[in-house]
Amino acid sequence: MTMEDGTTATALVVDDAATVRLYHSSLLREAGFDVEEAANGLEAVEAALGTVFDLFVVDVNMPKMDGYACVETLRSDTVGTGAPILMVSTEDRPEDADRAYRAGANLYLVKPVSAKRLARVATMLIAKGVPE
Amino acid sequence: MTIPMVAGAGLSDLDFEKFREYFYKRTGIQFTAAKRYFVDRRIDACIQSSGHRNFGGWFAALRLGDRTDLLQDLINQLTVNETYFLREDYQFDSLLSEVLPRVLAGRGRPGRPAGPVKILSLPCSTGEEPYSIALRLLEEWDQIDHVDVEIHGADIDSAVLDRARLAVYGNRSLQRVPKPWLAKYFTRIDEDRYQLDGGIRDAVTLAQVNVCDTPAMRAVQDFDVIFCRNVLIYFDELSSRRAAENLYGALRAGGFLFLGHSESMSRISPIFTPVRLPEGLVYQRPTGAK
Amino acid sequence: MGLVRRDTSPQVGKERSQAPAYDLLERHLNSPDPELRREAALELDGWDEAVPALLGRLDVESEPAVCDAILTTLVGHDIGPVAARLVGHLAGEDTGLRIAVADALAAMPESTLSLLPDLLVDPDHDVRIMTAMVLANMRHPEAESWLVAMVRGDAHPNVVTAAIDALLPSARAEHAPLLQEAMRRFPDDPFLRFVVETTVPRLAGTYR
Repeated sequence: MTMEDGTTATALVVDDAATVRLYHSSLLREAGFDVEEAANGLEAVEAALGTVFDLFVVDVNMPKMDGYACVETLRSDTVGTGAPILMVSTEDRPEDADRAYRAGANLYLVKPVSAKRLARVATMLIAKGVPE
Repeated sequence: MTIPMVAGAGLSDLDFEKFREYFYKRTGIQFTAAKRYFVDRRIDACIQSSGHRNFGGWFAALRLGDRTDLLQDLINQLTVNETYFLREDYQFDSLLSEVLPRVLAGRGRPGRPAGPVKILSLPCSTGEEPYSIALRLLEEWDQIDHVDVEIHGADIDSAVLDRARLAVYGNRSLQRVPKPWLAKYFTRIDEDRYQLDGGIRDAVTLAQVNVCDTPAMRAVQDFDVIFCRNVLIYFDELSSRRAAENLYGALRAGGFLFLGHSESMSRISPIFTPVRLPEGLVYQRPTGAK
Repeated sequence: MGLVRRDTSPQVGKERSQAPAYDLLERHLNSPDPELRREAALELDGWDEAVPALLGRLDVESEPAVCDAILTTLVGHDIGPVAARLVGHLAGEDTGLRIAVADALAAMPESTLSLLPDLLVDPDHDVRIMTAMVLANMRHPEAESWLVAMVRGDAHPNVVTAAIDALLPSARAEHAPLLQEAMRRFPDDPFLRFVVETTVPRLAGTYR
């Protein structure tokens, strides 16, 4: 997965479950991304302060800082990233998707996410660029 | 009789992975593959001194969380924790070049009256940290002649505070201090003992405080910068939450908190805002109401 | 200019003797100033009589920093009635509060574990997922057996995978059949398949 400037796209996978991080990370690596991981929303913010990520995959239910607060912080002046953010959750209610979009996410998927779906969605988000 | 360790070959890959994940979750500290040998040796040492027969028994006891002595021993083995002057002084670099300018820029705004810049070292142990800050400010801060600065040190242990007041140090503690500073600010007692001059000693206020004690910490107020390095990782969940809250209360709005090099608030509390500086992260109490 | 010293002697003892009275603290818990509320919540540490007021305030508090302070103090009361009231927030709409309460319950193992029989059969699968998160972060020898029960018996695949993830760090060879059975129960779940297929082979030979 190559960015316009020729560099490999880098993704941050954020989830408190190590197995989910492993699952999403391996799918993204197969799709050509470099991947880093964070175990909660706070750690994700700290990682994003140090590295420019091209894609974020963020769980909702995480200790210390939930996914919505994490996405809000990523979009705020604290980090200020414009990169695409994909939220992933076990919850399937319309209001959860609304909440995700209000927080600044580009897409909201319900777990479990199939390999093909994640790869397709990640690739599409990178290719499209990010609307303001 | 010593129970021999199996083969001295370190942990199995699976055990190492479990340990790595546990330690990461518990402390936020990560080990790269390059550190594998180092970590294996240290864990072997911990298992030996714990009296458990093998990794399984030791790790199960550790995970339960009620053996804080096992955790303490492990952290001591895996981290460098001796104190000396100018330890991790890239953070003092950040203090001078990034944090103090922001502190000065914030003065006079609502919630931050003019008045001395206040810096706290907690735990201050035998004084190396607050005195290091004093020396760096005196020698390298271009604003020191225009701004009042209060430096405070606090520790739970009265014995180390007594030693901090005495301020006599050996070569090991002083090894990073530039020779001109040693000549200027210390008096040589003998070949391995130097005492910090009275002027600097008197300029630093030392007090006995337990960071987890909310009523006691109420006296610790209005600090612009706090250094709280390499102590929070020793605390359990409850104590580290309370310590974080008390540190928050000790800062002014917009005040800054430095943790140790490999520590992170991400394991402890969401109440601080992380801020990226060229040399690493610092945490800020949000500006706003106070 | 330069380094200055506060000439007053250390204030610690003096401050303690001027500690605010309980009544004042309880009033401050409902102050319009969020910082006063936050400080009061922390200062009420150790006062048993403050528990109902703290629980009541948590029901209506909107400032996350104040909620954190309230929970930091409540965590010191690892007793049934406190956990029972807190557990109600696991089903709430406020995600931030939900996970803050889950963090707190994980630090109150005795009282939380006594509620597990009810939590395991809560009709809301999101509550059961949050329960798995609580158990994942709880340091107590009994947490594991509850996670095993969730893996074995829960009807919702996301609850089962949350419980498996919580169990894996301490999983041993004897847990392999349990994980394989879970995979058979939910054959269409790609993530569950992935987890079991990557981790079961490594469970053999766990400890040297």
